[in-house]
Amino acid sequence: MPAALHGDVDLTDSSDQTRSRALNQFLAGVELKAFKIAQAGLRHEDDAHDAVQDAMLQLARAYADRPPEEWRPLFYRILENRIRDMQRRRTVRGRVIAWLPFRGDEDEDELDPIAQAPSPEPQPAQRLELEQAIGALERALGELPRRQQQAFLLRALEGLDVAATALAMGCSQGSVKTHYFRAVQALRAQLGDLYV
Amino acid sequence: MSPLPEPLTEFERNARTLLEESVRRIDGRTRSRLNQARQAAVTAAAARRAPWWRGFTLMPAAGAATAALLVAVVLWQRQPAGELPLPDVARVSAEHPVEDLDLLADSDAMELIENWDGSFYEWAAAQNDASGESNS
Repeated sequence: MPAALHGDVDLTDSSDQTRSRALNQFLAGVELKAFKIAQAGLRHEDDAHDAVQDAMLQLARAYADRPPEEWRPLFYRILENRIRDMQRRRTVRGRVIAWLPFRGDEDEDELDPIAQAPSPEPQPAQRLELEQAIGALERALGELPRRQQQAFLLRALEGLDVAATALAMGCSQGSVKTHYFRAVQALRAQLGDLYV
Repeated sequence: MSPLPEPLTEFERNARTLLEESVRRIDGRTRSRLNQARQAAVTAAAARRAPWWRGFTLMPAAGAATAALLVAVVLWQRQPAGELPLPDVARVSAEHPVEDLDLLADSDAMELIENWDGSFYEWAAAQNDASGESNS
């Protein structure tokens, strides 16, 4: 029965396309925040990009067939594992490099003269204050212990609830609350009342 | 996931606003790279979900190629029908040992064969036999 067969094929393709669109939409919704979270943990733009890229690929390969509502905590769990792996690798590399007698600055990223050039647009005072506030917050976040940083970013930036944050961090909900509370306390102690 | 159910303090609201603003300020190059990574991930997921029968789309071509190869091998191995089997080289060599080689190597013998006069040589052979018998 060719008609039925064609119908089946169309249905399958349609289902696949729908799932691909859903995955694309989900990843598009989390990629920027995930990049910021990875950047806070790794303090390196290229490493943060690599971590997000790996997390996207792993989610797509291993968990794309899972219900879409499970994707968010799974994705952040994978991302967190990648960040931790890269931090460990960097620590080991740092120890090895520290023993080398001669080490140059070849690992330093070359400065892009265009990116370094002052913007021709005028910088309003408010914009400048905002940039300073963002910079101060990011620096303070960078100094937090990793678990506190993660709990704060997943809740405050990504907007996960306690249960989803616990799933993403691989710990209990009580631990999430503790990490988040300590993070807020530490940030407030360092930054005072943030202004926007 | 639902948004934070707990009421946020002013500090938390401000922190969230700053973090969202920092996300909005991510540069175009980074956005482009993330977009490419996302497309690669979606493609990988689609490839993984490809149904098993799509692996058999090349089956007709592969089957035809295999059949052609099989026919070629069979034709190559098989002896042509109607032809007699080639003589066994070992057996022929045992029956007609070195004399054939001498015959082929001797140019006079070849001329002899070319100018073959059968009746004369039969007569000469008969004479030889007759003289041999009389001598004995």
